Amino acid sequence: MFTHTPLRLATLALLAAAALTYAAVAGFFGLEILAEIAILAILVIALDLVAGFGGMVSLCHGALLGVGAYAFTVAANDAGLTALPAMILAIALSTALAFVIGAVCARSTGIYFIMATLAFGQMAYSFVFQSPLYGGDDGLSGAPRPDLSALGIDLTDSRAFALYALLLVALAYAVAAATLRSGLGRSLVGLHHNEKRLRALGLTVWRAKATAFAISGALAGLAGCLAAQHTQYVSPGLLSWTVSGEALVVVILGGLGTLVGPILGAVLFVILKHEISALTPYWHAIVGLILIAVVMSRANGVFGFLETRLAARKPQPQVKEAKADA
Amino acid sequence: MLETRSLSKSFGPIQVTRNVSLKLEKGERRVILGPNGAGKTTLFNQLVGELRPDSGTIHLDGADVTALRVADRARRGLSRSYQKNTLFDGLTIAENLGLAAAVALGKGQGLWSDPLQSAEVRETVRDVAAQVDLAPHLDARVDAVSYGIRRQLEVGIALATRPKVILMDEPTSGVGPEMSKGFHRLLKALPRDLTILIIEHDMDLAFDVADTITVLNYGEVVFDGLPEAARGSSLLKDIYLGAWEDA
Repeated sequence: MFTHTPLRLATLALLAAAALTYAAVAGFFGLEILAEIAILAILVIALDLVAGFGGMVSLCHGALLGVGAYAFTVAANDAGLTALPAMILAIALSTALAFVIGAVCARSTGIYFIMATLAFGQMAYSFVFQSPLYGGDDGLSGAPRPDLSALGIDLTDSRAFALYALLLVALAYAVAAATLRSGLGRSLVGLHHNEKRLRALGLTVWRAKATAFAISGALAGLAGCLAAQHTQYVSPGLLSWTVSGEALVVVILGGLGTLVGPILGAVLFVILKHEISALTPYWHAIVGLILIAVVMSRANGVFGFLETRLAARKPQPQVKEAKADA
Repeated sequence: MLETRSLSKSFGPIQVTRNVSLKLEKGERRVILGPNGAGKTTLFNQLVGELRPDSGTIHLDGADVTALRVADRARRGLSRSYQKNTLFDGLTIAENLGLAAAVALGKGQGLWSDPLQSAEVRETVRDVAAQVDLAPHLDARVDAVSYGIRRQLEVGIALATRPKVILMDEPTSGVGPEMSKGFHRLLKALPRDLTILIIEHDMDLAFDVADTITVLNYGEVVFDGLPEAARGSSLLKDIYLGAWEDA
């Protein structure tokens, strides 16, 4: 079950402190990277919620992010909504779509679940790619950033936008952590371990899976809104299955089912991407090698490795033997 | 409390349940006996809804539940334990019991509170742990405890739903004679208004706890009556009990 261990809390505090310090001192390029990390962090929190804790490995989270980004842009540009209502509408759409995907895919598990989500993701990608209404492969530009001038905040400023993005990461984490500590979250973990038994205990499995997937979709939609606001441009590439695959890589790299680990994974992934891509265009191959090393080490990602090492140092509690007479 | 009427089920040409009609009164403890392949577990699977019967009906507390799904029957008070442990490995014993209690109390999909911290769930965990003698092991992870404790937890999870009817599929399967005696005591200590249907190969336990005995052979009820009558039945000796009495 999900708990905030001291290591997790300490890692969160360190990440927050590092991010805020960096936001205070970084130049334009650094702040752009920070915003990029924040967007990826929200997406991987969303994915870890269902994949890490619920065993529902999804390859449609890129599409859910893309739907959020497009819905936000269209709502703001075409429907004339201001940024906040447009975000609410976009997140609602991602949530509804995720609920439908979760409900339809709930009966499948493992590779079949992955393929079903991939199919949904590709359907969304194809629709946006081929639809002239949404700019086709040219995408759409002009996604606005929220107007917080009433609060004295100018989000066109990179520093302010990076801090705003970090605030949304904190919000996404809080939502995911609260979900995992709720009845739904407890059932989600139970479903990962033994779906058959939970059904026999009286849980409506499809509804639990669909609701968890919907919450995850809402967070992916939030990441999409932030992505649209960041570049002020959306393209079909946002919905591509490669975005989902990349998010999955980051979750595994950071530590599946830890919630904190994927955030750490997002930080490492974006930094590695920028640092290695400055040296070679084949940066994907390097990241691939790192991922293979992480998987082969049998540790649960970077954070899982830290947890395991720390647990190994602690004295193990003695498990009492069964009493002979039961 | 639980009734089947002419329940039949086939897998291709093999008929595994033939016109099985049973009627359990509230608080009755019935043991189902039968050789391997007699259709006992298949009958359980139909009772809880994991298998659909080809024909016949199942009634729980007066209502026809034949068309209801597994979860719906569970919510009406029908609970089961499995012959093979079906636990939440990786979680602690307290979390296993708590999850079962939370789902049964309708808190399994709530969003605003942690059911494992609720007074109702914690009380259920404490009570059930005491019933199945798991109190000293509550914080142990399921994959770190002995087989016997896992067996006790298997029954504990079913009890944590506070059922009206509990089906136990060979609760003493794979445990030693001493632990089996512990299960006798456990079963006898359960509330008298709880209706219990048990599949069991342990004859001592069967005759010790049963109010009534049903014997299945090739999916068919061949005996239905009191334990004393079962002991004296020559038919049973032929198909099942001979080996036991000769032993």
